[in-house]
Amino acid sequence: MALTFFPLMRIFRSGRTRKSGAFTRLRCSGCIPAPHSFSPLSLNTLSPFLPSQVTMTEDSKTPSPAPIELKGVSKQYRLGFWLAKKVQALKSLDLKVDSGQIFGLLGPNGAGKSTTIKILMNLVQASEGTVRLFGLPPSDPKARRQVGYLPENPMPYDYLTGREFVTLGAQLAGYDPKKTKARVEEVLDEVGMTRSAGMQIRRYSKGMVQRVAFAQALVGEPRLLILDEPTSGLDPVGRRQIRDIILHERAKGTTILFCTHIIPDIEALCDHVAVLVSGRLRKEGSVRDLLTTKAPAVEIGLEGLNRGQLESLTGGSAPEAIHELEGRLLVRVKGEESNTLITKIIAAGGRITQVQQVRFSLEDLFMDVVKDAGYKASPGGEIIG
Amino acid sequence: MNAFLALALNGFREARRNRITMLIAGFALLALLMSTLLADVSVASIERVLVDMGLAGMSLMLVVLAIFLSATQLGKEIERRTIFMVVSKPVSRATFILGRMAGNMITLGVLLLAMTAIFWIELAVMHCPMRSQYLAAIGTLYVELLVLSSIGFAMSSFAGSIVSAMVTAGIYIAGHLSGDIYRLGERAQNALVTGVAKAAYYFLPQLDRLDYKPHATHLLSVSGSDVALAVAYAFGYSGIMLALAVLFFSRRDFK
Ligand SMILES: Nc1ncnc2c1ncn2[C@@H]1O[C@H](COP(=O)(O)OP(=O)(O)O)[C@@H](O)[C@H]1O
Ligand SMILES: [Mg+2]
Repeated sequence: MALTFFPLMRIFRSGRTRKSGAFTRLRCSGCIPAPHSFSPLSLNTLSPFLPSQVTMTEDSKTPSPAPIELKGVSKQYRLGFWLAKKVQALKSLDLKVDSGQIFGLLGPNGAGKSTTIKILMNLVQASEGTVRLFGLPPSDPKARRQVGYLPENPMPYDYLTGREFVTLGAQLAGYDPKKTKARVEEVLDEVGMTRSAGMQIRRYSKGMVQRVAFAQALVGEPRLLILDEPTSGLDPVGRRQIRDIILHERAKGTTILFCTHIIPDIEALCDHVAVLVSGRLRKEGSVRDLLTTKAPAVEIGLEGLNRGQLESLTGGSAPEAIHELEGRLLVRVKGEESNTLITKIIAAGGRITQVQQVRFSLEDLFMDVVKDAGYKASPGGEIIG
Repeated sequence: MNAFLALALNGFREARRNRITMLIAGFALLALLMSTLLADVSVASIERVLVDMGLAGMSLMLVVLAIFLSATQLGKEIERRTIFMVVSKPVSRATFILGRMAGNMITLGVLLLAMTAIFWIELAVMHCPMRSQYLAAIGTLYVELLVLSSIGFAMSSFAGSIVSAMVTAGIYIAGHLSGDIYRLGERAQNALVTGVAKAAYYFLPQLDRLDYKPHATHLLSVSGSDVALAVAYAFGYSGIMLALAVLFFSRRDFK
């Protein structure tokens, strides 16, 4: 890799400042998935992404390697008695999470979110592609030293008490033995489990298990947190607490990758989001950019027309939705079409009862992406072979 | 505390809090005590009955426990998904396997010590001495447990719990017959039979070399160098098995 990039390194070294912020922006603004391999042939396509690569391989004083980098990662699970059936859980996934980011991985069930995370945690091996944690392969324990991981539906050893389990987590994470005791109490307090920490985990409720598991992810003071559906199965109070912890960690500069299908969590927490559908990356960008790239919708309420008449008025440009409510109609159209439609409605003798701008939400974007991907409520990867 | 030690001690803690393990342990200790009662009845040669029953009981219980623990542990961790929060830590798969193995060996060692203590007390009550043959039989039993555990881990690093337990138990039985298998091969007229028997002899752990119960029963003299050789062989065999376990386990997906 270093060899291949050598000539280009020179160019970048002489040219630009090598501050990570500039490069980050350069990469994010494109929102294009990065190319799949490091082969010399793909250098052209690679060029927009080169600076971060170069700093990674070249100079140890410049920004350290990205916490997470996936290139062209695919995964096929083998199924059946003879393992002849294959499920394509991930297909050439490119993903880069920069230092300090809160990166949301959003996708419907079976999108491949957990698979991605398990590949990062060395629980599952990618069928193709390169995976790096802080520049190291996940199979290297050194790479995982900086990482705290909360699995989906975590299952701690249930014969241990919460406190014992978190302590074991600290020991396995290689945490300083002298500070372990204090640190364990600190994280137990952070997740609100101090009171039940002396109880065996087999007597915990799901929410308590989730909190203790979160505590063991935090206990080693990781620079990167990888959370697989951290708020699923929690009551609103618990969900709020977990969100607060995530924000607290962000304030400390921890990089966080978390996956979920709960959109409000992404909106509330993430600065960057990637949408995964059926194992493919469909959309990626900063949450702000994504929310403003699309013109907001307008909802118009009217009386005096029936559904058929309204549909004929909207004509070729199909409205996004029409609802009927106690003799009134509610129609949702794209922002730029709202004026025309209002004029037409009045001309046709209808009465406007309300005009309201609908904030375009991540949920709308998500539904769009999912629809575009041809995902028809049939979760999971393709079954091939 | 380093990860290996943490895993080993946690394994011991798991065993202490596990009902099945404790049940087997309790049953074993009870059976040992019962043997005293039986020994009381047959006055003829108290010591011999005590030794026969005691050593056979210890061996049976601990062998069953060793196979059970080693063959089911990995499968249970994967099935219950408890392994996710362990091998995702900066712990190599080798450390994980060796740590779990060490935990089992601590459990088995503590139980063996407890049983030995009871055995000793019984001997003392009957005014019989603790002989070097008995200690040899007990010591080599522990080494045998090491061999069985490593086979259990090697099997369960790629196969399910039930298959692993059955294969390990099969190897235990065949391993005790390895000398017979070798002799069978020598006597056979058929080249194929000879070949298979010899291959089996080299492939199987030669557990009969680790069995000093007959020496204890018949008070035969024990040669120190024989024991040392057998133990060295057992360590080598276990090392290979554990290396295989790590090799298979390192490639495994946990889903
Ligand atoms: N152990 C497995 N064996 C076979 N297929 C699997 C396995 N785990 C996941 N899959 C498949 O891989 C795809 C992605 O699963 P997953 O990563 O768990 O999705 P998500 O976490 O986004 O809900 C799904 O189609 C799922 O059926
Ligand atoms: Mg999942």
